[in-house]
Amino acid sequence: MNLLNNYFLNSAFFAQADTDSAVPTAVSQVVEQAAPLQAWTNSMLVPIVLGAVGYLLIQHGVVKSKAYFAGGAVALILAVGFAIGFTPGTFESYVLMSFCAVATGGGIGFLTAREPVYAALGFATAVLSVCGVLFMQSALFIAAATMIVYAGATIIIFLFVLMFAQQTELRTYDVQLNNPLVAAAIGAILLATITMCVTENNAILPVRVDSTRAMSAASLPDNLSSEAGKEASKKLDAIDPNLRYVPKLTAGLGRSMYTDYLLAVELAGTVLLVATIGAIALAQRTTETQS
Amino acid sequence: MNETTQNLLVFGGVLFAIGMVGFLTRRSLILMFLSLEMMLSGVSVNLIAFSRHHQNYQGQILAIMVLTIAACEAAIALALVVSLYRRKATLDVAAWDDLSETLIPKVIEAPQTLEEPAMEFPKLTPAGLDPLSRPISANFDAQSMENGESVKANTLEAGTHA
Repeated sequence: MNLLNNYFLNSAFFAQADTDSAVPTAVSQVVEQAAPLQAWTNSMLVPIVLGAVGYLLIQHGVVKSKAYFAGGAVALILAVGFAIGFTPGTFESYVLMSFCAVATGGGIGFLTAREPVYAALGFATAVLSVCGVLFMQSALFIAAATMIVYAGATIIIFLFVLMFAQQTELRTYDVQLNNPLVAAAIGAILLATITMCVTENNAILPVRVDSTRAMSAASLPDNLSSEAGKEASKKLDAIDPNLRYVPKLTAGLGRSMYTDYLLAVELAGTVLLVATIGAIALAQRTTETQS
Repeated sequence: MNETTQNLLVFGGVLFAIGMVGFLTRRSLILMFLSLEMMLSGVSVNLIAFSRHHQNYQGQILAIMVLTIAACEAAIALALVVSLYRRKATLDVAAWDDLSETLIPKVIEAPQTLEEPAMEFPKLTPAGLDPLSRPISANFDAQSMENGESVKANTLEAGTHA
């Protein structure tokens, strides 16, 4: 209720929204000059190609000796350790990186598991770690919703169907893959292209202020009119000026959703309704087969 | 902060690539849909990173939309999979190849099973008497057995019984 009071009942707040969002442009440009982005180098191709080759190796069972697997695991741990050691960062960035690493590991487990149930568990691991990443990126509501929708509902229902349809022994279509070589090549090329585009100069533009969506701008965490709020924002300014404008409030998300994006929300609700009706209609047995 | 955005964009790309490779290689209907969900979560990571970068809630709104559409897609996909499974009792995508172009010659593949290494049991040195080939006689004496005297008698008896 306190948040609602702050954000819905304070009429001055709505007037401030636009001016608040205009401030960080200059700040972020300063920050950008201080920390230059990492540019694309051809050495970035090495992990991508290695990942593709490793996927193929595990997939086809070319390497059968357990010693190779152990050596590979030790090398992987060493590489991660070196990468962490050489990357300057805060504790938060390390947590974020480890979430990313666990998610990638879950994805690789999802790709390489022969049993569909294990693949689904790998998917659940990946999605839960993605929730952790979203949490670290201060998208709390999205993290919770993703956890409920993906890791809760979707995974459980998919597991139900898997167990409903799955016999004890592995089927041919689980063991034999569709063109793994071509798929790995396409995936590596796609990933290389994405990395190249992202690490390009000026790929990530400075902060864009959308004045047509005033309600969607991230705002100060505390009510500016109060003394405590002023002090809090001063403290945050001393740490990092960007911290004040982090879009982390669920109340702010709701405010944006039900003002600027009301039509989209209505459309999404309609799509959900149609999907529910469609799912029920599809899953129903027809009366002819019943009789 | 920009560097974090960049790293997260690469991470979203990794998730997207994993999902796409899974979609191209997997042949089970359900796992193909899980791959799609993986691609969508990669996109969500991108949206959240840009939401934080641009300091507004627009990316998060879009992520909510992605989540909604993903839920719809999962519901309809499951209904489709269940009704398809009722018809052919298989989750194989190739079972529904007749729906596609018939110009491409159909590749008939030999069924392949996951080869498992043969189990190896430790070989123990045989001890004692085999009761099937050499049944123990009623007047069996363990003491004389240790001396090795009655072994021959035992085998002889077994021979006569047979």
